[in-house]
Amino acid sequence: MKSNDERKYIPEISQKEIEELRNTIKAASIKVMTENIERMKKTSTNRPEAMQYFDEISNFFGQREKEIREAKEGGKKVIGYNCMFAPIELILAADAIPVRVGSGWYDASKLGDRIVPVEVCPIIRSTIGAKMIGLSPYLELSDAIISPLTCDGMTKLSEILADYKPIWTMCTPRVKDDPQSMIFWRKEINALKGKIEDLTGVKITGKRLRSAIELRQRATKAFRRLQDIRKGSPVIMGRDAMLVNQTSMWDDIKRWTEKTEELCDELEKRVGQKIWACPPDTPRVIVTGTPMIWPDNWKLPNLIEESNPPGILIADELCSSDRLLYDPVGVDEWIMDDMINAVAERYLMTSTCPCFTSKDGNEDRINWLVDKIKEFKIHGVIYYVVRGCILYAMEYTRIKRILDRMNVPVYYLDTEYTREDVGQMKTRVEAFLEMLQARVEI
Amino acid sequence: MITAGIDMGTQSIKVVIIKDGKILSRGQAFSGFEPTKAAEQAFMEALKKAKLSRDDVEHITATGAGADMAPYSDSTISVMGADAQAGAYFFPSARTVIDIGAEEARAVRCDEKGTMLDFVVNERCAAGAGTFIEAMARALEVKLEEMGPLSLKAERASPINATCVIFGESDVITLIHRQESKPEIARAIFDAMADRISSMVHRLGINPNVVLIGGVAKDVGFVAALKRKLGTDLLIPEEPEFAGALGAALNAAKRIGESKE
Amino acid sequence: MALELIGDILRLTVFAGLALAGILVILIWIRNLTRNVTYLRFFIQAVSVIAIFYLFTLPSWLLIFVGVIFLMTIVTGRFFCGWICPFGLYIDLITQLRKAFKIRYRNLPEKLNRALNKLRYVILVFFLILPFLLGPIEPWQWPLALFLTGPFKPITVLLGPLEPLIIPWKGGLEFYGLDVSYPYVSDIIFYSSGIFVWINVFVFIALTVVSSFIVRRFWCRFCPTGASIAIVNRFRGFKWAPVLHINKDEEKCTKCGICKRVCPLQVTEVYEQKGGKIMTSMCMLCFRCVEMCPYEDCLKAKMAGKTVFKSRNWLGPSKIE
Repeated sequence: MKSNDERKYIPEISQKEIEELRNTIKAASIKVMTENIERMKKTSTNRPEAMQYFDEISNFFGQREKEIREAKEGGKKVIGYNCMFAPIELILAADAIPVRVGSGWYDASKLGDRIVPVEVCPIIRSTIGAKMIGLSPYLELSDAIISPLTCDGMTKLSEILADYKPIWTMCTPRVKDDPQSMIFWRKEINALKGKIEDLTGVKITGKRLRSAIELRQRATKAFRRLQDIRKGSPVIMGRDAMLVNQTSMWDDIKRWTEKTEELCDELEKRVGQKIWACPPDTPRVIVTGTPMIWPDNWKLPNLIEESNPPGILIADELCSSDRLLYDPVGVDEWIMDDMINAVAERYLMTSTCPCFTSKDGNEDRINWLVDKIKEFKIHGVIYYVVRGCILYAMEYTRIKRILDRMNVPVYYLDTEYTREDVGQMKTRVEAFLEMLQARVEI
Repeated sequence: MITAGIDMGTQSIKVVIIKDGKILSRGQAFSGFEPTKAAEQAFMEALKKAKLSRDDVEHITATGAGADMAPYSDSTISVMGADAQAGAYFFPSARTVIDIGAEEARAVRCDEKGTMLDFVVNERCAAGAGTFIEAMARALEVKLEEMGPLSLKAERASPINATCVIFGESDVITLIHRQESKPEIARAIFDAMADRISSMVHRLGINPNVVLIGGVAKDVGFVAALKRKLGTDLLIPEEPEFAGALGAALNAAKRIGESKE
Repeated sequence: MALELIGDILRLTVFAGLALAGILVILIWIRNLTRNVTYLRFFIQAVSVIAIFYLFTLPSWLLIFVGVIFLMTIVTGRFFCGWICPFGLYIDLITQLRKAFKIRYRNLPEKLNRALNKLRYVILVFFLILPFLLGPIEPWQWPLALFLTGPFKPITVLLGPLEPLIIPWKGGLEFYGLDVSYPYVSDIIFYSSGIFVWINVFVFIALTVVSSFIVRRFWCRFCPTGASIAIVNRFRGFKWAPVLHINKDEEKCTKCGICKRVCPLQVTEVYEQKGGKIMTSMCMLCFRCVEMCPYEDCLKAKMAGKTVFKSRNWLGPSKIE
């Protein structure tokens, strides 16, 4: 930790003010979390029992924080990461705990406004704000943070956070298909491997890496099983499934896999007995765009599923939800070299982030989206962008053209980290759902 | 079959009562601090004019930003849906409906039955809505209803910023200091608004049969500017600010029809 | 006498093996056990070696066999290379040895790989005209030179990879009464003289064995037999022909690159081509890419329009479909 003069961005704030802000925002956050869960329970009257575990784990300041703290005291290291490019298998192989430290608190973004302009991505501002008052338990408990430099906001965020934690930057190549991209990325992964080993004091051997890869492969299997169940008539509300997906970002992966398998067992029984979570002819919506992190960002999903007429969030293309565990690491030969190649490739090549550019225009994301629209029988797409994200905003035009040709309605919804625009958003979302319902009836 | 529509707008509440597809009466009241009460008032007014009682109305549909606060409503519909219905009712050939309200402007694409196919809303700022004209009228020290005729007298236009009401106002003051005449400035204001509306409508895709509704449709200055910018003629019904409420009432009638089937 | 007995045993083994292989193929088709294709391939390769043993005891059948293979490749591409060629089996066995020692393989840089792909045609032509270079041939001997097993043996060069390791007849080397021959060794001995005989043989064996430890299926990338098969697939007119091929569903592909990485021949067309039938003259149809692709229905092995097996959601199927 640097002294106030040496810190690059964040100024001196009195300890009293920090405590006050932290307590207020923490209390507000707990309120929001409880409220969201209540709302989810109200909408889906026969919510699956297995969701109880996820409700508890979703509390940032509860059980999981305690577990990580105890593990730290026992000598384990905690490695945070900002973005989906970080190779989690390497962290697990070194016997450390991976946690995602993106911030989903609206109130914290107002603190970030003091340091950086309002045009900056609100997720970045919120992370800065959270660091200023030590709000996020995962961010505070991290021993190091892996920061892939995918966009401008992330690039500067790593500087700001470097005053507080060791930041391991990973330069992501913006072009996937060139052979030199994979060579460079492989080198970044190697460098990161060295850093992880130095921090934890654990050598990442072939055996350890293999068990980490297989652990995550099992998690992917449970994850895909849940998504497959959502393809048919709805047995689980979108918000519940999204909560399950999100908790994988910070929960113990082995336990998460077990609990998700239990949830899937329960849901499959319901499919057999035709117990639906909502009428099967509810308009099916997919959300695509910038990440939507718990808890405050439940704003849009709440609107979709509680509006009049209601819709159901049947799938999403968000790096905070349905993309997290979708792709497994595919290892050809269980030799160290091939395992690391496989890990490096999985994190670079499968990503559908618009931070990539290619002459075919990010076909990866479009193919993914179009495939899901067909498989999940989607009625409408909501293109969700937080103000300040140029990459996602620019891709909208291309995606709209393709979806227009497919005759799938798409609505561009841009918003901020603020609760005040719920009223405005409500009218738009309701109009969109009305439109979808009219189409369903036709 | 008698139905009613209540449009809980941000500035004023409008009520329309229809019977078998014909307008019986209208009622209006300012929203103010107690929109629910104002809505009741407007509704009573419409009932009195139609010589009906509350029980004669079979179904009431509410619409508008404050639809949840309507005193009586059997169902709700979004403003865009109501606009589409109203547009098709007045002009069956209409395929695009532009609704400029006090705080929000919308464009809706519809089919001949009045089903909403697509919509777009002006984002971020009221610089494409009624409040913009009000703020500009204040800056020019002109009465709101005089703005339109004033602008028609202008010979040319000087452009102003229309990203924001605040910036727009300071731009107007700059023009005043430059001693531009009031008609020129008024016209510039309407041109800026029409510019914003026109780019919004282009996102939807223009169809030559464009209907303009909402309170601002009564302003001749704006209508002239919008016709210029869009390059097409505009179909404007009588009493355009009641179109939203009418659309809601038509929707109410449709719902009764569907439930009978 | 011994030869006939061996011949009978071989024949029985071949038929039993083929029957078993057929059952396995049908099983894979029905139960969609895509993950076990590699095991099946090893099995069929082993059966092929025994079958070829058998064929070598009947020289007249050999020509027919060669003819059938070449005709087959019009419809099956380089299926021969992946499933039947004994040299391929030896290389795969060496690969298993490499894996057991946890030695990593190296990939050739893509540009070099593409250059080598073109080089194999040059090698093929060289071997075909080698007899003409070595000595004067009367014009009436040309057909013999090209097609028959005269003193020039170009056809045995093409059959080189088929030579099983132990041939119960005259071979290149003798080892405790058994004639042992490594593919192409007898040709090398034929074309070399003096001390170069053993030097050339040794160098050749060392190159092919050692290279298989380093680069996967190195020989196959410029094998003249493989090149002669592939010629047919290179021409666009034959686009419709390959009955057995890999098919790709463009929308399901996430361009994850696993197919490119696991391919022993570093074929990039499966990754690069947008969708539909994958056209490549290098692919030996080992279907490792189909086995490993983690997105259901993305890659399919199709025969005459019917899907034989397809890539799975290979971490386990969901019970709800």
